[in-house]
Amino acid sequence: MSDEAVPILDVRGEICPYPMLRTNRELDEVRPGVPVLDVVTDHPPALSTIPPEAMKRGYGCEIEETADGEWRIRIFKAE
Amino acid sequence: MATNVQTLAVPSTSPSPLRTWGPTLAVVGVLVVVYLAAQASSASQAVFWAVGLGVGLVLQRSRLCFTSAFRDLFLLGQGRTARGIIVGLIVATLGFGMVMATVIPNPGSGVLPADAHILPLGPATVLGGLLFGFGMVIAGGCVSGALYRMGEGYLGSWVAIGGVMLGLYLLNRTWNWWWDNSISMDPFVWLPQEFGYAVAIVLTVVLLAGAYVGVLSWERRVAGNMPVIPIKRREPPPPASVSDDVRAVGRRIFKQEWTPVVGATSLALLNILLFIRYRPLGVVGEVSRWANDVGDALGAGVGPLRGLADLAGCAPVLADGASWFTDAFMLNAGIVAGAFASAVFAREFRIRAPRSPRRYIQSLGGGVIMGYGAGLGLGCTLGAFFSAVPSLALNGWVYAIALAGGAFLGVQVIKRFP
Repeated sequence: MSDEAVPILDVRGEICPYPMLRTNRELDEVRPGVPVLDVVTDHPPALSTIPPEAMKRGYGCEIEETADGEWRIRIFKAE
Repeated sequence: MATNVQTLAVPSTSPSPLRTWGPTLAVVGVLVVVYLAAQASSASQAVFWAVGLGVGLVLQRSRLCFTSAFRDLFLLGQGRTARGIIVGLIVATLGFGMVMATVIPNPGSGVLPADAHILPLGPATVLGGLLFGFGMVIAGGCVSGALYRMGEGYLGSWVAIGGVMLGLYLLNRTWNWWWDNSISMDPFVWLPQEFGYAVAIVLTVVLLAGAYVGVLSWERRVAGNMPVIPIKRREPPPPASVSDDVRAVGRRIFKQEWTPVVGATSLALLNILLFIRYRPLGVVGEVSRWANDVGDALGAGVGPLRGLADLAGCAPVLADGASWFTDAFMLNAGIVAGAFASAVFAREFRIRAPRSPRRYIQSLGGGVIMGYGAGLGLGCTLGAFFSAVPSLALNGWVYAIALAGGAFLGVQVIKRFP
C-alpha cells in the first residue's frame, strides 16, 4: 500500500495511557479490521505500550523516527 | 513478554558537526558551570546537583514511570515496568541495609537511623497512598515523573507540578489537624528493630521476589499468551570501524531506550550513593517547601507545622538565613536539568502541548489530589516507596499497597472518560 493511502491517527500531545488507548479504539471501533494504520506520536513511552496492544490484535509494528522527538508507528496485519 | 526487535538498515545521513554537537556541548557547558558554582557555594549542593542530573538522565533514558508500573497492571495486565522497579528495590535494599548497619550497628537499641525513610505508619499512610495513586493516574505521572517530563518539554507536567504544589499547600494548611489527631500517635515500624538486620533484609528480598512472581502470574492471567510478532525499527547500518563502534556505544547509552530493569537498578545505585553520605532520594519535601514559600509570599502562610521537621525528608521551612537554593532544591532542579540534557542528547526534546483542554484540567486536578496525598503519606513514589521499602520500614509496603489501590481506582475513571 502506498504511503498516501494509509490512514493516520495523530496522537501528538497526548501522554500515557492515551496514545495507546486511542490506538486501541481506532483498531477496535473506528476502523475495525483496518489492514494498515500509521500512528504519529511525540510521546516516547508510547513506543513500548502501543506495539504489545497491536500484537494482541494480530498486528505487526514498524517504528520510525520521523523528526526530532516524533515517531511513526506503522501497524499492519501480520500474515 | 519477549519481543524480538529486527533492525532495518537506513542510509546514514551526516548533518554538519555543529548541528550535531552544538546543542549537546552547550547543555553540558551550562550543567558544568552550575556544578562549579554550586561547588563554590557548598560541597553538598554540588553533590545533590550531580545526583539530580544522574536521576534525570536515568529516568529520561529508561522512561521509568512509577505511574505506568501501577496503572498498566490494571489497565493492560502489563508488568514490565513494575518488575523493573522490583529489581531496583532489591538492589536498593541490599545497599541500604549495608549503609544502615554502619550507622546503627545495634538495631535493637531503640535508635532509628535518622535519615532513612522510616515514617509514622497509620491511617494517613493508607489514605495518602490511595490519594497519590489515584491522582497520579489521572494526572498521567507521579511527582518524580512530572519533574523529569518538565525537562523533556511536556507542558502538562508543568501544570501537574503546579497542581501538586497546590495540593501540598492545602495539606499543609490542614497538617496540624492530621498531626494532632492521627500521625503523632502512629508507630514507626522498622523491621531490623524487630528481627535484626539479617532477617529484615532476607524477609524484604523474599517479599520482593514474591511480588515479582506475583506480577508475572498476574500478567499471564490478564494478558494470556501473547503472539510474539517482531517490531521493526529503523537503525543505522552495523558498525564497520572503530569510530563506528564508539558511535554505537554512545547511541546505546544516549539514544536507545534503557529497559526498566536497567533504569530502576541505576536509580537504586544513585539512591544508595546519596544515602551513604547524606540521605535517600525524595523530592516532595522540597516541593512542599516551595508551596509554603509561595503561600508566605502571597500573605497566606501556613504557619508552624507541628512535628514535621523531625520526619525524614520533610523539612517544611528554611532554617533562618539559609539559602533558598537548598540541597533538596539542587536535587529537584538537577532532575529537571538532567532530563532536559538527556532529551537533547537523544534529540528528543520538544515542547509537547496537549491539544485538548481537558488534559490540562486532568494534570491540574490529578496534581492537586496527588499533592495532598504526598503530603499526607509523607512522600511520593520515590520517597515514601522507592526509598522506604529499602529502609526496611513497614510504611513503604503499606504505602505501596495503597498506591496500587489508588491506581486501580484511577484506572476505573480513565477507562470511563477517555
